[in-house]
Amino acid sequence: MAVVEQTILRDPALFYWILFPISVVMILTGILRHYATVLMNTPPKPASTLAESRERHALLRGVNLRNHACAVLDRESFEARKNYLVNGFRSGAFLKDPNNRGQPPANPMTDPAGMEAMMGMLKGNMMMMIPQTLIMSWINAFFSGFVILKLPFPLTIRFKSMLQSGVMTRDLDVQWVSSLSWYFLNLMGLQSVFGFILGSDNSANQMAQQMAQANPAAMMNPMQPGQDPDKLFLSEAENLEVMEHFCILDGVEERVLRNFAPEVI
Amino acid sequence: MGGLVDAEVNGSDVLSALRLSQQAAAILGHGLAPNTHATSSKSSRDTAEEYSRIEQLFLACLQTGDDQSAQTCLDRLSNRFGPSNERVMGLRGLFQEATAKDQPALEKCLAEYETILSESPVNVPIMKRRVALLRSLQRPSDAIAALIQLLDAIPTDAEAWGELADLYQSQGLGAQAIFSLEEALLIAPNSWNIHARLGELLHVCSSSSEGDAARLAGKSVQHFCRSIELCDDYLRGFYGLALATSRVLDQKYAPESPSDPAIPSRKTIQQLQAFALQRLEHIIQSRSVDDQHWASSRSELIAAKELLNRFAPSK
Repeated sequence: MAVVEQTILRDPALFYWILFPISVVMILTGILRHYATVLMNTPPKPASTLAESRERHALLRGVNLRNHACAVLDRESFEARKNYLVNGFRSGAFLKDPNNRGQPPANPMTDPAGMEAMMGMLKGNMMMMIPQTLIMSWINAFFSGFVILKLPFPLTIRFKSMLQSGVMTRDLDVQWVSSLSWYFLNLMGLQSVFGFILGSDNSANQMAQQMAQANPAAMMNPMQPGQDPDKLFLSEAENLEVMEHFCILDGVEERVLRNFAPEVI
Repeated sequence: MGGLVDAEVNGSDVLSALRLSQQAAAILGHGLAPNTHATSSKSSRDTAEEYSRIEQLFLACLQTGDDQSAQTCLDRLSNRFGPSNERVMGLRGLFQEATAKDQPALEKCLAEYETILSESPVNVPIMKRRVALLRSLQRPSDAIAALIQLLDAIPTDAEAWGELADLYQSQGLGAQAIFSLEEALLIAPNSWNIHARLGELLHVCSSSSEGDAARLAGKSVQHFCRSIELCDDYLRGFYGLALATSRVLDQKYAPESPSDPAIPSRKTIQQLQAFALQRLEHIIQSRSVDDQHWASSRSELIAAKELLNRFAPSK
C-alpha cells in the first residue's frame, strides 16, 4: 500500500512572519542573556580575614596530601603530616572561630555572606527564567497552533509530542512542526550557534550553568553557604585516617635504569 | 619579531628578559602616552593575554633598568584594572622597591605595605612583596615569620613554600627547608624542577648532618631519579644524580646486597652514576654553548662540563 503523502497548503508568509522571527528572537535573547549575566555576575567574594582564608584552604591541603603523598613523601614524613592534619581537623584548629564549633550552622538567610551567595544564584536563575517565560507566552499568544515547517525526512510517531506541541491533531504526519515546538527546538539547539557568536564559555549556555551548580568543588571556595566546615573537616580527617601509604619513590632507581638505560644494566 | 615577543620570560632568564625589554617601544605602541593609544587598542586587544604580556614586559623592563617603559606598563595596567586591584598593587609595590634609591626609601615601602595589610589582611600579592622586601632588607627571620603567617592562611601556595624553603636554607635550617619543599611538591607533585631542587637540598643536608646522612643521601638519589623520570633531558637532574650517587659510593652508604628490596644495591648506584654521566655528555654535545636556543642555560652547561672533567680521570 502506497503511503499517502499529506499535503498542507501553507502560506509562504508563514516562513517570513513566524519561523524566521522566532529564530531571530531566540538568538537575540541568548546574546542579551549572555551580556546581562556578565553584567550582573558578582565574583565570589575573597576571604576577608586570614582565619577565613585558612578555613577555606585547609580542606584542600588535606585533599592534596591524600592525592599526592604517594608521589613525594616517605612513610615517616607522611605519618607526621597525617597526624598534624587529622589533629587539626578533629580539634577544629582550622576553623574560622573554633568557639562556635558544634553549634548549628547559622541560618543562611541571616548570614550576610550566605545571603550574597544566594542572591548570586537567584540572579543567575532569574536570567534563565524571565526571558523564557516571556518568549513562551509571546509565542503562545501570537503563534499558537500554526504549522510552520515540514521536515524533509520521515520520523516515527514518538516524535509527535516533541514536534507538534500546541497542535492537537491526531492524524497529522509527524514531519510537520508547530511554532511552539520550533521554539523548543531553538531553545535546546542553539548552543552551538551561541558558541560560534559569543565564544565557547558564554553564559547563554544553560548547560554550562547547570554544570557549574552541580560541581561546587571546581570553584575557589569549596564551602557552600549553609554548609558546616566542621563536618567537612571531620570527614576529611576520616579519609586521611584510613589512607594506606605507599611511595612511588621506592625502587625508582631500578625503574629509571630499566626505562631509560637498558644498555647500562 | 612577533615570535620573539612570545618568548617566555622566567625570573632567572636574564637574556630573554633583555630581549623582551628591548622591544618595549614596539609593544607599547609608538606614542608612549597611554591615553592616546588606549582608544585605538581598547576594542581589539582587550584580552587577558595582552595584559599578561604587558605584565611580563613590566617585569623585564624593571630587570633591565628601563624604568620609564615599566612606568608606562604599570599605568596601562592600573588604567584597565584600577589602582585598587590587588595584583596591580603588588606590581606598583615592586616598581617602588625597584626604583627606591636608598635604605630609607625601602623602609617607606615597607611601612606602606603594613598600612595596606592592616586594612585588608588577605592581600596576597602585597603579603608576598612584604616578605621579599624584608628579605632584601637583610631581615630573614622577619621574612620567615611573615611567610609563615601567609602560609598559615593559604597553605596551598607552592610558590610561597618554595620561597620559605629557600629562606630556611639560607639560614642553615636544612630540615625545615626540606619540609617546606615537600609541601610545595605535595601541591605540584609532577614538577621535575622541584624534585631536583629537593634532591639538591637533601644532598647538601647529607653532607652536614651526622647520623642521618645515609638516609638523606639515599633520598636525594631517589628525588633526582624521579626528576629524570618526569623529564628525561633535564640537565640539573642528571648533574645532581651524578653528584649524589658519587657521594653514596664514596661514603659507602649502599650495601652490597641489601636486606630490604626498597634499598638499592651498590651495583645499581654505580649503574645510575654511569647512566647520568653518559647522559650529561650527550646533553653537552647536543647543546652547544654558542647555540642561541640554550643561551640562558649556558652557565649550567659549563658547570656540567666541569663536573665531567672531574669524573674523567677517575674513570
